[in-house]
Amino acid sequence: MTDLFVVEDSPEDTEAIARAIGRSHPDVRMEFFRSGSEVLPRLTEPGADLPSMVLLDLNMPGESGLDVVRHVRAQPHLAGLTLVVFTSSEEQAEADACYAAGADSYIYKPLNFALFQSVLSRTLDYWGSRPSGNVALTVVPPPGDSSAQT
Amino acid sequence: MVSDNGDGEDWACTLHAMWTSVAMIGVRDELAELVLPPLLAQPGVAGVWGLRHADGGVVIAYRWAGLDLEGERRGVAERIAADKSTEIAADADLRALGVTRVLKAHLEVGGEPSGTFMLLIDDTADAGVLAGRLAQVVDVTREALRRLAAGRLEQQQHIRDALLAEASLQMDAVLDTTQTMNRIPRMAVPAIAEGCLVYVYDGGKPVLRSSVHVDRRRLSAMLADPATVDRLATIALEAASGVPDFDGTVMNPQVLRARGRVIGVLIFLFDREPERIPPVAFLRDIASRAALAIDNSTLYEQRRDEIMTLQRHLLPSRLPSVEGLSIAASYAVGDQHLEVGGDFYDVVVRDDGTVAALIGDVCGRGVDAAALTGMARHTLAALVDERLPASRAMSRLNARLRLDGSWRFVTAGVAMLRPAGENFDVQWLSAGHPAPILLRRDAPPRRGRGGGVPLGILPEPRFGRSRVRLAPGDTLVIFTDGLTESRDPQGRMFEDGALTETLDQLRDAPVETLVNELSRAAAAYGDARADDIAVLAIRVELP
Repeated sequence: MTDLFVVEDSPEDTEAIARAIGRSHPDVRMEFFRSGSEVLPRLTEPGADLPSMVLLDLNMPGESGLDVVRHVRAQPHLAGLTLVVFTSSEEQAEADACYAAGADSYIYKPLNFALFQSVLSRTLDYWGSRPSGNVALTVVPPPGDSSAQT
Repeated sequence: MVSDNGDGEDWACTLHAMWTSVAMIGVRDELAELVLPPLLAQPGVAGVWGLRHADGGVVIAYRWAGLDLEGERRGVAERIAADKSTEIAADADLRALGVTRVLKAHLEVGGEPSGTFMLLIDDTADAGVLAGRLAQVVDVTREALRRLAAGRLEQQQHIRDALLAEASLQMDAVLDTTQTMNRIPRMAVPAIAEGCLVYVYDGGKPVLRSSVHVDRRRLSAMLADPATVDRLATIALEAASGVPDFDGTVMNPQVLRARGRVIGVLIFLFDREPERIPPVAFLRDIASRAALAIDNSTLYEQRRDEIMTLQRHLLPSRLPSVEGLSIAASYAVGDQHLEVGGDFYDVVVRDDGTVAALIGDVCGRGVDAAALTGMARHTLAALVDERLPASRAMSRLNARLRLDGSWRFVTAGVAMLRPAGENFDVQWLSAGHPAPILLRRDAPPRRGRGGGVPLGILPEPRFGRSRVRLAPGDTLVIFTDGLTESRDPQGRMFEDGALTETLDQLRDAPVETLVNELSRAAAAYGDARADDIAVLAIRVELP
């Protein structure tokens, strides 16, 4: 079973993602797709072996990362799938559009590899420690409550 | 000192191999594979167990070689670990497996989870030799953990350095306050924190200007909860006074201070192990860079607004209405230098019905050029309005410029339009200014004559003079050189590349459209518009 689908058209970024996650999370099984049109049939075929997370580039030829988010969120049986947009785009409008379409995370893709690895690692750690279904959780405790967040 | 029982040389080689391999270990989980099997290979050893303890002694990982450490044996191992002795007699269950004694060693490395090693041995084992070898393996493990910790710290520092560099690059790349505020939390999440909120003080109150969280739903839920929003605003307010009440494992507010002023607060939200929360000094460093970026973009915007205001004041707020003429003007700022440009124009209607259209260009930009621009426009307009001939008005301006000792010169042109039946006679006086364009109703655009020398250069000004008659439907277009000298990427000027074609297309358009479209076309033609563009069009209306 695959834990993570990576949808990325750039061979360089694909290699960097494989290397980064291979180092920080050697147990995570990844499957790679080069476009939105390649990954969508895999996600929607009956009885598909689904990952827990999809890491999406935003700007790809054909169906973009945003298109994939829209398609996935239109499928009720994929509601538990965590969708992380991983992009170097700086356009706030694109972030807003991805969130509006139902993306769970919109993460900046850094240039520096150490930072790139750290960002991916923290993203996987965060979502790996959470049940699927994205239940809204407390972020800020009330005054005087010194316990860690739940 | 370990006595040699015949395999001492082999053990020395094994130990040496272990020490060599220490540098290759990347994560703690790889250690068990390195250090447990060699101990299991020692005579009389049935199993080797390793426990990793969290604070308070709770076991967080079980490792083994030989006899497995599954199920109920884990409880046995924990009881042995709790025993203070270094050699413990085996219980009945272990005896049934041939184990008679357990040798034990404890491992402590500052800042790392502690560990317990156990050798499960039978009666054939030399306990003294094995205890010595166990101690040596503990030494190897301790060194490996120390190296791992140092490597991790170095890696974290490297990541922080990279983050600071990239954050500075990203934040400094824009001069728009909103974009800057959006980029700051995007850079911080999730590398530094799981969430980041940017508060900026407005009238003494913290206003949330930007927010990012690795989990969009959590952020939305948080910002939809009035109690949480109030709590965050209170923390942001208290942070400025230096006494915020917060739980450091969950958040950290950092004051945004730039040029001695507190402009807001960055609140970092954490959902990670406490040891993964960056040091406060680093968060402070990020905040200080963010504050400077926000302040720079705010100052830039303020200055841009001031310049736009000043620029507006240098130009007439409205053009006069003249019977028989349609008049329109446009001014496009070459927004590269963030300084006031020196182009000006005006239209004056004399009591006798003569219309004077003025245009000029003070060389250079900035406050000095702006002051001169205001003076030149008002001098020319006021003198022409007082019925001075245009040449006298320009001569007075020339004298004024020479008297002030200004090194700046001014190109200027004045078109005096006098009604002549249904036509208008135009006298054009030029002091080094670009020649006007005559757009006849039924003929191709034609350039008039320029000539003369810019004002402020010669003691006695030299002018170019020409006359033309405008018939109904004809348009006189006067402009500054930003229009004609706008260059495409190949260096070709708008005047040579597209001016005639553009004017032909705009021939029948209202004058307002003509000036705006002409200016826009020149700006779009240019690769990088460096100069301002002023255009004034006067058309004789059809009866």
